[in-house]
Amino acid sequence: MAKIVLDNIAHSYDPNASNPVFALKQMSLSWADGGRYALLGPSGCGKTTMLNIMSGLVTPSHGKVFFDQSEVTRMITEERNIAQVFQFPVIYGTMTVYENLAFPLKCRQFPEDQIDKKVKEVSEILNLHNFLDNRAKGLTADQKQLISLGRGLVREDVAAILMDEPLTVIDPDLKFRLRRKLKEINDKYKTTLIYVTHDQNEAMTFADNIIVMDQGEVVQAGSPKDLFERPQTTFVGYFIGSPAMNLYECSATSENQISIGSNSFKVHTNINNTDSKDLKLGIRSEYITVESKLSDNSLEADIIEVEDFGNYKLITASFDSVKIKAKVKRELDIPSEKVILKLPAEHCCIYEDNKLI
Amino acid sequence: MNFKHKYVFLLPGLIVLIGILIFPIIFTVRLSLSGWNSFNPGLDFIGFKNYVRLFTDDPRFWQSFFRLSFLAITTVFLQYIIGFALAHMVWKDIKFKRFFRVLFLIPMMTTPVIMTVIWRTFFHESLGPLNDFLSIFGVQPPWLSSPSLAKVSIIVVEVWQWTSFMFLLMLAGLLSLPKEPFLAAAVDGASPFKKFIYVTFPLMAPISIGAIIIRLIEASKIMDTVFVLTSGGPGTSTETSSFFIFIKGLREFQMGYAATASFTYLIIMIISLTIIVKVLTKVLMRE
Repeated sequence: MAKIVLDNIAHSYDPNASNPVFALKQMSLSWADGGRYALLGPSGCGKTTMLNIMSGLVTPSHGKVFFDQSEVTRMITEERNIAQVFQFPVIYGTMTVYENLAFPLKCRQFPEDQIDKKVKEVSEILNLHNFLDNRAKGLTADQKQLISLGRGLVREDVAAILMDEPLTVIDPDLKFRLRRKLKEINDKYKTTLIYVTHDQNEAMTFADNIIVMDQGEVVQAGSPKDLFERPQTTFVGYFIGSPAMNLYECSATSENQISIGSNSFKVHTNINNTDSKDLKLGIRSEYITVESKLSDNSLEADIIEVEDFGNYKLITASFDSVKIKAKVKRELDIPSEKVILKLPAEHCCIYEDNKLI
Repeated sequence: MNFKHKYVFLLPGLIVLIGILIFPIIFTVRLSLSGWNSFNPGLDFIGFKNYVRLFTDDPRFWQSFFRLSFLAITTVFLQYIIGFALAHMVWKDIKFKRFFRVLFLIPMMTTPVIMTVIWRTFFHESLGPLNDFLSIFGVQPPWLSSPSLAKVSIIVVEVWQWTSFMFLLMLAGLLSLPKEPFLAAAVDGASPFKKFIYVTFPLMAPISIGAIIIRLIEASKIMDTVFVLTSGGPGTSTETSSFFIFIKGLREFQMGYAATASFTYLIIMIISLTIIVKVLTKVLMRE
């Protein structure tokens, strides 16, 4: 196990082009030993490139990669102590489950008794112990994916297990179980787990630290709570959470006050030093409340629709020609035409040029 | 849905199918029950006399069949090994990859009969360049007049001509393989040899079976190479089933008997290829 450091990493798949396009823009990141990370972002944002740089499947065009103190930038995958689980289960179809799990150790010429002990231990954790003599080819998709994961776990000295959207092919209920299993593995072995996904729910429920990427850049790194409550950019606000954060163009009217059309709102952000024309107010629909009468920070909106999601209701309404979404308790009685919504000042985020002030 | 006119729409296709596929087979079966020859042309009915003759009194047919089996299996096996190796070579990023890919396809683009004539000249015992070269070492093998060397010559020509086809199929297969298994094997620390044994070869198994069967079907019809290179000789040592049928039907004009041999050969081939597919599936795909 090791601390992984990406030092001024950048990558272009065609670095010699006159105007190279960077799949990964220059950045430095470090991954603590034993951490549980999620790399989150839309398709094509550079998540897999970053993962492949760590595993050695891609050599970065710029910067260096360190495992603890040693530089591994140009080291080939076989020489790095890294395990990787891919989107689709990769098994050796001609081998049994036992042989599949033993394969990475056999390739590294471990003694037979050590291989046997480790394979049996890992198969117990992954509930594969009853299938050890079965041909891997005949197993279900999730069992196959467990084998892929198991091949990473049998190697004790592995620096990190990198997972590239590993639960895509798995049924939703199994996904939940597997994520829990991954957490258990992380708790037990203290193996660094880096999990790539474009599904925010997966990232939020799995990781201690989430790195959100967009267009080859890290836009925010932090805990699920940070990402939800204080998104550093409007992109994170929009990308994290369901529904996405309510975002409105606004203008500063005083030190702690902004206006959206004819409505004024108090905020806890000092916006005195702001001279940008691009100012936005962001608020999560979870923090908007329904009130019976107008007060500070409230507005009257016309209801467009109310959707019942079983455990909550989602109100879609409009004011000053903009839409607002509020997530409220299911049992709440909602008027049919107009509703008074309150935007609590402590949950209002102000963005200048799409960045949180 | 009761759509009575559907047969009307199917009719054109069915007529073509009956005309080009089913009619010739039925006609061959009928012909095989006749004694049609140059003295007695016509579809008379002699029962199973031809079949009795073929099964009890014609070792030449069976010899030609076993010879054909040997030639077909040997040539296809060699084509598979060489074709796969060449495809594997140009699959990777090597210099002049495109040049080699085209180069390896050239034999398939040439006309078999013409190339066999060139090979016959090449193998010619007194005038051919091969023996010219070998005479430096004091040997001049009788390539086309020794029964065993004549078979070797046919194998060489067939392998040269058709390895390209195998190469093409295997290369197409390799290019269509997913990347992840290879990346996973790299992560697992597999050596190039282990990658081939545990990743490339199993992934290529379905394509290999398809390619081998296509080539076996083609190779079992081997005719032009034998005709031009050895004419079945010396003696009957390179005579194959199709060449035997050609001799019986178009040289000796024993049409009824040639039809019997053709139909018997067809049935044996269907049974053999079915068994071969099952065996290959079991061996290559380990099912």
